[in-house]
Amino acid sequence: MMPREDSDRTLMRRLKRGDERALTGLVLRHSGRMLAVASRLLGSRADAEDAVQRAFIRCHTHAKDYRPEWSVTTWLYRILTNACVDEIRRRRARPEEPLAPVAPAGRAGPGPETRVDLERALAKVPTEARALLTLRYVEGLSYDELARIRGISVNTVKSQLKRGKEILRAALTERPRSMREGGR
Amino acid sequence: MTSQAQGRLFDLEGTLRDRLRPEPVEAEAVRRIARGALRRLQQIERIRDGFVVDASERGVVAVRRGRRAEAAGAAARRFSERGREELHEYLDGQRSFFDVPVDLSPLATFQRRVLEGAMRVPFGETTSYSALAARIGRPGAARAVGSALGRNPVPFIVPCHRVLRGDHSLGGYAFGLPMKSDLLELERSTSVLEGCTSTHILCRVGCHALARSRPDHRVTFASVEDARSVGYRPCRLCRPDAA
Repeated sequence: MMPREDSDRTLMRRLKRGDERALTGLVLRHSGRMLAVASRLLGSRADAEDAVQRAFIRCHTHAKDYRPEWSVTTWLYRILTNACVDEIRRRRARPEEPLAPVAPAGRAGPGPETRVDLERALAKVPTEARALLTLRYVEGLSYDELARIRGISVNTVKSQLKRGKEILRAALTERPRSMREGGR
Repeated sequence: MTSQAQGRLFDLEGTLRDRLRPEPVEAEAVRRIARGALRRLQQIERIRDGFVVDASERGVVAVRRGRRAEAAGAAARRFSERGREELHEYLDGQRSFFDVPVDLSPLATFQRRVLEGAMRVPFGETTSYSALAARIGRPGAARAVGSALGRNPVPFIVPCHRVLRGDHSLGGYAFGLPMKSDLLELERSTSVLEGCTSTHILCRVGCHALARSRPDHRVTFASVEDARSVGYRPCRLCRPDAA
């Protein structure tokens, strides 16, 4: 069987040639994980679907700019994070909309309250650090990949993550009752 | 227990790994994304239809469908050429602002004020006919504002498509309502602030300095402050910090 990355690159090559079926192939393969990142970053499932859709459109319209030195996954996360960050800019321009609408929990596992606490706490983290935290903890990406995706140095990635975590920790431990119920 | 002590005991790493774990995504959502992306690609093709840009010696006077008219004078030719380039970049999702001057001097005072008001509606945003009427000091003249916008000779560059009815329905548009909604969608899909990853300079999308950078060397930022926080500085040409 062809290695996954090779076959991603084959899809990108086909997309570069204008083959729209290759786009469907990339969507089927990657949109699940991209949706997970976007949902966590934007706090809204509808906005997340929109952002993932935009990311794939951009992937198609900018396929000619793709260079094989990029892993397709990293390339897609760069485009996706760009789309999500721009959505955050738009929300700021319309302050009547909350910055991170709280998504309903709707699944078994941790109680909705702790979930809501974490989303509220994440909303307090500045955009750049929040994007890095999300990519790191939803997708488990390395410092190098994060640096590549956001166009910053590995040192900046580390300092942003550290700062983000400090803010999260302070926000989450402000609420001892929720911490007892959800923290471990 | 002090909050510092609580902070030390609290397992943030574990909480993040646990709570941010991806949830399964239903197949229907994936199909929705694929269908939506292909539909929007067709919209993008639709709005790239040929438009021509006419200019006077003071700036662009008209954007219309049809054959190119020969501009009289070197300045008019330059404005017409620049307007055409900027319009193509805008329709291509590569530009979030127009730099080329617009010449509204041939128009009647009321229409000129309406169009100048429309030019202040930011990229990617919308306003209503009545809010625009109030903004130009003519509250209650929403209908007249609508008809002045309907006769906008410089669509796209004077963004009359950003003005909607009070109930957020589209209202009218000279090139048809599908075009109006495609343009609003185009603006929602175009970034406004991008930084170059090799120079660490932040530009407004459409700036010449940014256009010189490799496309895969660009990242989007939500604000000048966000970009500064990771070591980017605002461009001195397009001044995103002053916009």
